[in-house]
Amino acid sequence: MLEKFDLDGKAIVVTGGGRGLGRGMAMALAEAGASVMVSARTQEQLDRVVAEIRGAGGTATSFACDVTDSKQVDAMIAAAAKEFGKVDAVFANAGGGGGANAEFQEYPDDGFEAVLATNLKSNFYTSRAAAAQMIKQGGGGVLVVTSSGTALRGNRQFAYPTAKGGVISLAKSMATMLAGHNIRAHCIVPGFVSQSPPKDDQERAFREQRGKFMPVQRLGEWWEMGPLAIFLASDASSYMTGHAFVIDGGGLAGGLGPIAFRPKHEW
Amino acid sequence: MTRTKYFDLTGKKALVIGAELPAGGAIARAYAEAGADVALAVLTADEAVMRARAVKRDIEAMGRTAAEYVMDVTLGKNVQVTMRQIVKEIGGLDMVAIAPDLFLAKPIEKISDTELQRVMQVNFNAHFFAVRHAAEEFRRLNQPGRIVCVTSVLGERGLPNATAYAAAHGAVHNFVRAASQELAAERIMVNGIALGWMDWMTDRISPDDEEAQRAVRFTALRRAGRADEVGPLAVYLSSELATRNITGQIFPVDGGLTQHL
Repeated sequence: MLEKFDLDGKAIVVTGGGRGLGRGMAMALAEAGASVMVSARTQEQLDRVVAEIRGAGGTATSFACDVTDSKQVDAMIAAAAKEFGKVDAVFANAGGGGGANAEFQEYPDDGFEAVLATNLKSNFYTSRAAAAQMIKQGGGGVLVVTSSGTALRGNRQFAYPTAKGGVISLAKSMATMLAGHNIRAHCIVPGFVSQSPPKDDQERAFREQRGKFMPVQRLGEWWEMGPLAIFLASDASSYMTGHAFVIDGGGLAGGLGPIAFRPKHEW
Repeated sequence: MTRTKYFDLTGKKALVIGAELPAGGAIARAYAEAGADVALAVLTADEAVMRARAVKRDIEAMGRTAAEYVMDVTLGKNVQVTMRQIVKEIGGLDMVAIAPDLFLAKPIEKISDTELQRVMQVNFNAHFFAVRHAAEEFRRLNQPGRIVCVTSVLGERGLPNATAYAAAHGAVHNFVRAASQELAAERIMVNGIALGWMDWMTDRISPDDEEAQRAVRFTALRRAGRADEVGPLAVYLSSELATRNITGQIFPVDGGLTQHL
């Protein structure tokens, strides 16, 4: 049964694959046997990830791409289909901050649109292009990555959680719309995750301090999305679709008070 | 066998409660296939023991050890004592899967006090007792632990005639969330697997019942799930390496059933 976790012969595209979680997922997917195409805007980052994967004995290629431009995204999926002959799974992982820091009633159009482009439209474009290819070939998996930041409402950067919430709805819609084409769709919801090892002691101390606010008492690490990526891209999750997989050290399961708050009342 | 380290349970000690049932049996086999030795706890001392022995034979054929135990999950003390005995005999404990299941489908006015109590005991209390004492064992062994509560998607959605059962599983869902908060700092992760319509559930999706079959087709994947589709997720959620940052989550194995709304 555990051969279901193997990704031998599968072709997988990971956007935002130049660093952080995308790099972690790409490396794990390749380790499990997949041929991986990593995509990001910066070719230099991609070259490093491709070299790392190849150095570990995996198969990887890259495609520099701005995922907010649907033409480039279509070209990316076409390139993957040409390179591998198919696209078994796509991880629409690219995203980012940006936008404006403003009161709600003053929040500017361009700030809102920029955040939606980076975090929601990009996922839609990537998923749409991949789904078209998957329908042609008879099936596949679409995985969109959002953030538990979608639950951080009511601050001056509300556009980000708004876009990230849209990504969850996108995954659920795709799950029902594409099930008939043998395509499963999921959303990955990472919590606070360190994108790379700490640069210095100050950063290490800052992360330790932030980690104290998580039930597991630490931040997530960049590689920890890897096993989930393997699970979702593989046949191990064959009867699952449309779910938002939260990987956040227990953050969203709680959240009713500061982490040290443990009510005591006995009778 | 999988090639990555993330799903390797070699040398680990597992306990599956409700191992005579399809989900528990599938999880026990998957644990063993991933390399673990498995204690098989059955809920009743009847033919359940024979069904667990079939699981045991499969596991032994894989070269792992397995042993069956009877555990009355309606009694906290019995869960505690049996679990302690199991840990002593199998030489440790790294993961516990809790998979009891007792379905009841009756109009609310027809459900008796005794039936309600029984449904709550088997579907919910069992999880509470098992997590309480699994945490006790992990603490005593001074090591991390993984707990998987197998529950139902009815724990977050309603269905006519399923009031007692749905309420019991709703209790399991939020128990998973609350227990995760309490135990996370001790590196004990508590997660749930919520089953949708599975092919063995003839007590609720009888092949002869046209309405039930329509309900099955209502899932996004348009079919019932199989036992072998539960095992890999349980292995993933029980891997110490793969789930250091996942707790308090319920993972539906439901073919997209709960994505309609």
